[in-house]
Amino acid sequence: MHNKVELTPEAAVRAVMRDILGLSEEQVAEFTAETELFGALPELDSMAVAGLLTELEDRLDIMIEDDEVDGELFETFGNLVAFAEMKVTE
Amino acid sequence: MTPVPAFVDYEFAGRKELCLCTATRSSRRVLIIPPLFDEMNRMRKMLVDVMLALESLDVASFLPDLPGTNESLVALEQVTLTDWQDAIAACAQQHHISDIASFRGSALAVAALPKARHWIFSPVKGATILRTMLRTRVAADRESGLNTGLADLSAQAETRPIELAGNIIGPELFAQLNAADIPDRENQRIVRLESDNKPADAQIPGSALWLRAEPDDDPAMSSAIARDLAGWMGPQ
Repeated sequence: MHNKVELTPEAAVRAVMRDILGLSEEQVAEFTAETELFGALPELDSMAVAGLLTELEDRLDIMIEDDEVDGELFETFGNLVAFAEMKVTE
Repeated sequence: MTPVPAFVDYEFAGRKELCLCTATRSSRRVLIIPPLFDEMNRMRKMLVDVMLALESLDVASFLPDLPGTNESLVALEQVTLTDWQDAIAACAQQHHISDIASFRGSALAVAALPKARHWIFSPVKGATILRTMLRTRVAADRESGLNTGLADLSAQAETRPIELAGNIIGPELFAQLNAADIPDRENQRIVRLESDNKPADAQIPGSALWLRAEPDDDPAMSSAIARDLAGWMGPQ
């Protein structure tokens, strides 16, 4: 078995966004902190958001509570990365 | 000529369930167990591409409908994880198959059968699948002004059937899935995507189609899966 490799929160968020949106590595590498998510990306429906949260929990070994999830979290890519970074240091 | 998959059936609990198969006379046969719930829909095209690629490698494959899923006439609400395990055992036995490939959550629906060998793609714990489905329910409830939480819903689901992302799941299936962990058996090979950092026996390039907002395919990944699977099965 190969060993588990640690992922940075930003790399994990980028990888999950890539999987959900079906983007190439180059396309998702262009995401900046200001890139808008909710509203700008119609693919991000409630099912996709649910999958995204569970994947982040799984890949970063964190637990996300219901009351931590609001619209602001998904406003921009930067918000989501900042949230993931905050969760891994908890 | 392009190979055409055909439907055969298998019998379970006095009913016939459908099973898509590639019509080859090869003695190398593998059962393909689809992912659970909506991950099944997002990955069915990818799995059929795997079956066609296997056919070109002279491997016959069988993709059964689990009771309560796809074309099955059984109500999902009545189905338990044990039913899925027994149905897969029946299908394997009726079609003389001992190599079983499962994808994502369906690894949990395959019991350790005598003499069976297990090839498992990107397995996931039952609690993880349920957590995503519970989250969609919480989001839907919030839109209709109800303030439900993951813990409350989970507790409810253990006592009565619950609707999660369009599936009515009975309390027994919910409890069994919630407790189901990734199997650890002697005769198994776990394959994951290169982007996945969890332990695996092999990694292949590709994308997590089960997360995709719309069903999609990945022909290169399907070929890579078929090659790894056929190589693991070996000549017969």
